[in-house]
Parts: sequence; structure tokens; C-alpha cells
Amino acid sequence: MRITTGIKAAFCFILCLALIVSSGCTPPTEDLSDTLVIGVLADIQSWNPYLTETKFSEDLLALVYPSLAVEMSDYHDHPPTFAPALAKSWDLGSDGLGLTFHLRQDLVWNDGQPVTADDVVFTWKAQTSEEVGWYGAYTKDFIDSVEKIDDFTVSFRFSQVYAYRLMDANEGLIIPSHLWGKIPFSDWHSTDWLPHVVGAGPFVPVGHVPQQDIVLGANPSYRLGAPATIDRVVWRIVPDQLSLMTQLLAGEFDFVNSLAPEEAQRVEADPDLQVVDIPHRGYTHICWNTTRPELADPRVRRALGMAINRQTIIDTVYRGYARPSAGPILSTMWAFDDSLEPLPYDPRQASLLLNSAGWNDTDGDGTLEKDGRPLTLELLTNAENHMRQDICMLATRDLRAIGVQATPKTVEWGTFLSRLRDGDFDGAVNRWVEPTQIDLEDVWHTTPEALESSNYGRYSNPEVDRLIEEVADVRDIELQKELYGQIQHLIVADQPYTFLVEGRKLRAISTRVQGSIQNDATPYFNLEAWKLP
Amino acid sequence: MTILRRLALLPLLVLLVATVTFAVVQAAPGTYADTIDNPRLTPAARTHLKALYGLDQGARGQYFHWLGALAQGDLGRSFLFKQPVADVIATALLPTILLAGTALAMDVILGVLLALISARRPGGWIDRILTILSLGVYGLPSFWLAGLAILLFSLTLGWLPASHMASVGADRWAAGARWLDLVRHLILPASILGIVGAASTARYLRASLLDVRRSHHILAARARGITESRILWVHTLRPALGPLVTLIGLSLPVLVGGSVVIETIFSWPGMGRIMWQAAVARDIPVVMGCTLVGAVAVILGSLVADLLYAWADPRVRPQ
Repeated sequence: MRITTGIKAAFCFILCLALIVSSGCTPPTEDLSDTLVIGVLADIQSWNPYLTETKFSEDLLALVYPSLAVEMSDYHDHPPTFAPALAKSWDLGSDGLGLTFHLRQDLVWNDGQPVTADDVVFTWKAQTSEEVGWYGAYTKDFIDSVEKIDDFTVSFRFSQVYAYRLMDANEGLIIPSHLWGKIPFSDWHSTDWLPHVVGAGPFVPVGHVPQQDIVLGANPSYRLGAPATIDRVVWRIVPDQLSLMTQLLAGEFDFVNSLAPEEAQRVEADPDLQVVDIPHRGYTHICWNTTRPELADPRVRRALGMAINRQTIIDTVYRGYARPSAGPILSTMWAFDDSLEPLPYDPRQASLLLNSAGWNDTDGDGTLEKDGRPLTLELLTNAENHMRQDICMLATRDLRAIGVQATPKTVEWGTFLSRLRDGDFDGAVNRWVEPTQIDLEDVWHTTPEALESSNYGRYSNPEVDRLIEEVADVRDIELQKELYGQIQHLIVADQPYTFLVEGRKLRAISTRVQGSIQNDATPYFNLEAWKLP
Repeated sequence: MTILRRLALLPLLVLLVATVTFAVVQAAPGTYADTIDNPRLTPAARTHLKALYGLDQGARGQYFHWLGALAQGDLGRSFLFKQPVADVIATALLPTILLAGTALAMDVILGVLLALISARRPGGWIDRILTILSLGVYGLPSFWLAGLAILLFSLTLGWLPASHMASVGADRWAAGARWLDLVRHLILPASILGIVGAASTARYLRASLLDVRRSHHILAARARGITESRILWVHTLRPALGPLVTLIGLSLPVLVGGSVVIETIFSWPGMGRIMWQAAVARDIPVVMGCTLVGAVAVILGSLVADLLYAWADPRVRPQ
């Protein structure tokens, strides 16, 4: 029959095709012994550091462009100090308004041009240009001028004396004025920057296929330290966390920056991988909406906090990679008051507190009431984060156990944010990631109605406001510490938040990588010194 | 004439789709400035970004601004990708066409083949097995199939790469090796899309083949002593292709729109993935740009489908 021959012919065709393809299936043997492969979730936004907004873009570009100084991770003992980089030294003027940087004279861009004061001045112009619109321009608000004294000396002038002048002056990466100065700021947003990149950092770009790979190579003209030991570093972009993990465990990556706790457990079981476990600069909390009548009473908020079992959250949601959080300043910071203890888990005491605040189960239905109204609460969180959802569920269960009609509610991130901002929530499970300088104003200071701030729960304590304003003008670290201590005790007494946990930052690194130093500043802190066998 | 009239309606339809999409995107809470997860973005910095991207102008202001630019052929600049939207789409279109095109070819070839096998002895054991298999594949979620395929062919057997369009270090290979590498990376995602498509194609075509076979002209052909294979290939297949060409025409939007799920799982840098990332990041210009491309493709696709249908079945040919 001809039908059968037709079908047979078609099958033969497909079979041949399959054979041809599979014969080509033996991958070309590629020696990756000189290549470090890193798995990441998203691409960089631009090769121009002033057109990016994501943390990953900034971390990666910091390997390419130099900075005046490097912030040290010594914030546990005192406000962070700075180590020389492009600037070999600096001095504050006698009036406190000047800051002069003395630059190293041996640094070059990888096209051979020297890095000079012109680059620093040009960088400041770009940073403050309205046409460029850099989001970090606010760090330059108090800088009136940046002037070149000579090729390797540059002077900053401030409009006021304040604590973070060096930090603000140093903010942002130095860019090449001899090349980028030729491109008007108005054209920056439509420029393809990769061809214009020259670097003075340990690495320079070798290739970039959008949404696929970023390849950096060692910069042979790097002078700030020894040239990078690894020739090529490839960032593989995998947009899905599950695929990222699968490929990590299949041995395709040497380094992955962010692991969930349950993923860290699987990584620990893999003999070729190690878990990097460092304190994370964030704390997860429940923000209570203090404008809700039932939540306006600090006793109620304290009771809710005491009803929630943090240890269960740490053991189940964080698999042990967390510690209880005590207050608004991270326990890893110099200003943290050691005398603060996390709120104890004590449901019986919580019930008594609620009773004293007027909430009683008068009709015996298991729910507390006051003036005939039951104590109902919605715990809001965002759907993208399953850990927060789990916390929401556990907290709901604990609250119900003491007669609070709590319900969990998850919404998408954008909705979550807009509901927080509008004050359209009872309690919200959220996390703050803290900068290395202490700023309590944005979250804890009373907010005028019109102003946008992160004080979503509308917390207001005049004494806290006064102390936050006072500490801003204090220079002496011991006195600052004293004032911060008072603020922490006041806030903890008011319990506008239930402070839940401080999580850990979990990363995976291949056992073949040697010499890496891991801290929370950037995942690629000393990438130039990492070694492959 | 019908074609011209429909082409003339195209801009109007596209505008309508764009307007509705704009309204929907605007109704979604949050803006690009809110979605970026960077601890250094203070509230002041976020407000600053909103002004920079014109997000503080209100929905109507943004819409007319976007429309004005569109009238001059400018799709705007992406917030997320920091590039003109046209460039973002141009970069993503080729990988999607490659993936979806390969998948469509597999879909049609495999679908027709399976339908022919099934329709030879309807109700026979081959037909029954194929029916169960195709319904099964059709009913499975593609992310699950993809996960299974990766587990089997990449992780366990190590035959094929699990993601991306090229291997690490492929940029240092010769052109031939790079091509081969691309084909290897294409096989898994294209097969998943193609096999799922083929399962439905086969079902449609089988029903259609059986329909035609019962019609009078086949009986007449048999009576004239024409061989069974000629009846199948010439007299049955062509009229039965009607539903198939409609399906193919309607898959044009997928060809340029891509598949969000497959492109994300396989790290394939196509339109579906761009659109998804843009939607999550509230990157309005890219969402709008992708929607425009999709809308044009849907309209053209249905036009192509009608034309192909007319070719396959002379009865619907326009006068």
C-alpha cells in the first residue's frame, strides 16, 4: 500500500533528522578551567552606572569602574570607615565644608588614558544632571561644587556640615570623561553603552548577549591591586529561581548569590558546593496600622507580638538560618543596644494584656470583643515571597489561638505597596533591608500628611521624633549610641512593629573556588582574588 | 476587496487594543519605580524616578504622551531595559521566531503524520493509543512537561542543554560549532512546544479526515476505482486541511509573541519572556510595544488563515 510507504518514508526522514542531530550532540569539548560561571536571575540594565537602578547592575559595574574610596564592612564597631582606592588620601577642610581628595597618579583606563581629577569632576556633573536623572542624585544634595585643583587633586565643597560627607562624596562610580564627555547628557538614554566602556577596575567587559550572558575578562592594566587571577567570569542569566537551582545542583555554576533556606539545605548536601552563611542586613516584621482603633493601643500591639512564636518561624520557615529580632536597629550594627531582648513568646501573658486593654470573650464564641465588636485583623503580605506567606500563616494561627480573628491575605507586589502607602491594611508582613548608615527618620519619624515616607503604620511618638532630630546633629559616637539606645527603647516599648526575625544571607559557592571573601557589601567583594585550580 | 477592507481596519483595531491595554496596565497598582528591589532606593529616589519616567503625569497624560510619540513612529524607551522599545523588541523577536517557527514546523509535520496514522483505521488499537497519548499530552501543563524533559534529557542523560541559546564559552568557537550548539539548545524547548501543538493538530485533523472520508465525493472516487492511497492523499487530505490552516494562521501571534512559560524555563531571550518581565516591572512602554506587535500579528494571522482556508477549500473562495 502506498499510504504505508508514504508514512514509512516520513518516519525514515524524521529518524534520519534525529540521527543527524544526535550525532552532533556530542558537545564541543570546551575547557572551562579558566572560566568562573555565576548564575543570576536578571540581566544588568545598562553599562552606564548612572542609568541603572538594580542592585545587581551596581554590583557588577563596580568591578569595571573605580571609586574614590571603598566602604569597609566594619559597621559592627562604629560607623563604617573607608579604605583608599582611586583616592590615596583625603582631608576635611578646617571649616568642615571642604573635602579634598588626593588621587593616585598611576591609574589608567584600559584604553591607556590616565584616570584624573577631570574624571571625578565629570562624574559629579553626570550624577547631578537632570537629563541623566540618576536616582542617587539625592546623595549629592549638599555638595555645592566639585573642583579640579590639579590633575590629581580634587576638592568638594559642601553646603552644610553633617556626618556622612565622605560617604556622600564617595557615592557612585567614576566614569571616563575623555570618552563619555563627548556624548551629550541628552543622548545618554538612547546610547548603546557597551562599545563605549573602558574600565579601571579589575575586570573589563568581553561580551554581553542580552538576557543570556555577561562575560567579563581580567583587566591587564588594573593597578589598584594585583590583576585578577581568573581570566573570564561569565554571568549566566536564568530568569527562574527553580531553573537556577536545578542548574546549580547540576554543577553548571560556581556561584549563586541568593538561596532560600530550603535551597541552602540541598546545597549543603552537595559535595561540590558550599553554603556561604552571613548575617543579612534586613529584618522581617509585622507593621501594625496604628490608625486602626483596635491597634492604636500599644498594649494590644505588644500582646499580638507576644502571641506569635518566633522560634517556630525560625525553625520552619528559615530552617534555622535566622535569629529573633529585637528592635529597629539591626543587632549587627554598632548602634544596637545590647540590653534589648526580643519580645518573649507568652500567649498567656498576651491574653492578660488584651483583657486589660478591654478585649474579652464575653459571649464565649472564642473571639475577643470590645464594645460588642470582635477583634478581627487581616495580615497582608505579597504573593511573590512564599516565606512571608508562610510567616503570615503561622502568625495567623498563633493569633487565633488567643482569640484574635486573624486572616492571612496575599496580594501581588504592586498592590501590596500601594495598599501600604495608602494605609489600607491592618498588619503587614514585610522586610526592611538597612543601609550601613543608620537612618531612622524615614520609617519612625511622624510623617506630615502630604509627604511620602516609609512610615506606613503612621506611627507617631513626639519623643522619638525629637531624639531622631537631635541625633542627626551629634558628632560624638558614644553620645550617638546613647541617643540611639533611647530611641530603640521607646520604639520597642510602643511596639508599632512586631519585630520578627533577622534572616541570614545565603549563597552557594563551588568548592573549586579558593580565596573568596564573603560579606554583605557586594557578593563579588574580592572577585579579582578568587582562584580556580 | 475583502482583504483591502480588512487591512484598512487594522490601524483602528490596533488602536482599540492599545487603548484597552493601556487602561488595564494603568489600573494595575504600583509603578516601575515601586517594583525595583534595591535597598538604596529611598522614597525620595523613587519619587524622583517617577518624575523621570513621566509616571507622575496621571493616566490620561501618559496615554496621550505615548500616543503622540507613536504617531511619529516612536514606541518610547523601556524603563527596565534602558533601551528604545523598538530595539528591545527587535532583539527579542528573532529568538522567538526561531523557537516558535521550529516548534510550528514540528507541530504540523508530526500532527499530520499522527492524524494520517490514526485515520487509517479509526477505532483500531493504534488509533486508540494515539488518542490517549495526544489527549494526555494536550492536557498536561507545558511547564511540567518541560521540567520532566530537562530532568530526563539534560540532568539524567546529559544529552541536551537545559537552557539558553548557547553554551558557556561558545563565543570562542568556530561558526560551525556555534550553529550546532544553537541547534542543540533549540531541541528541547522547540520539542515541548511542537509536541503539545502536534497533539491538538492531530486531533483536529483526524476528525476532519474522517468527516471528509464519509462525504459523497470520496464514495464516488472509490466507485471509479481510484486507489485508497490516492483517495487519502489527494481527495481527502486537501479538503481536510481546512481546520489545520486556520490553526496555523492563528498561531502567527504565538510566532511573534512567544511563550512566556517555555521561554522563562529555558532562559530563552524571546518576546514572551520580555513581555512577562516588563509586565512584572510595570515597564509600560515595553508592555505596550509587545501588545502592538501582538495585535498586528493576531489580525494579520486571521487574515492569512482565511486566505489559506480558501486555498484548501475552494467552496469558501471569495468571489
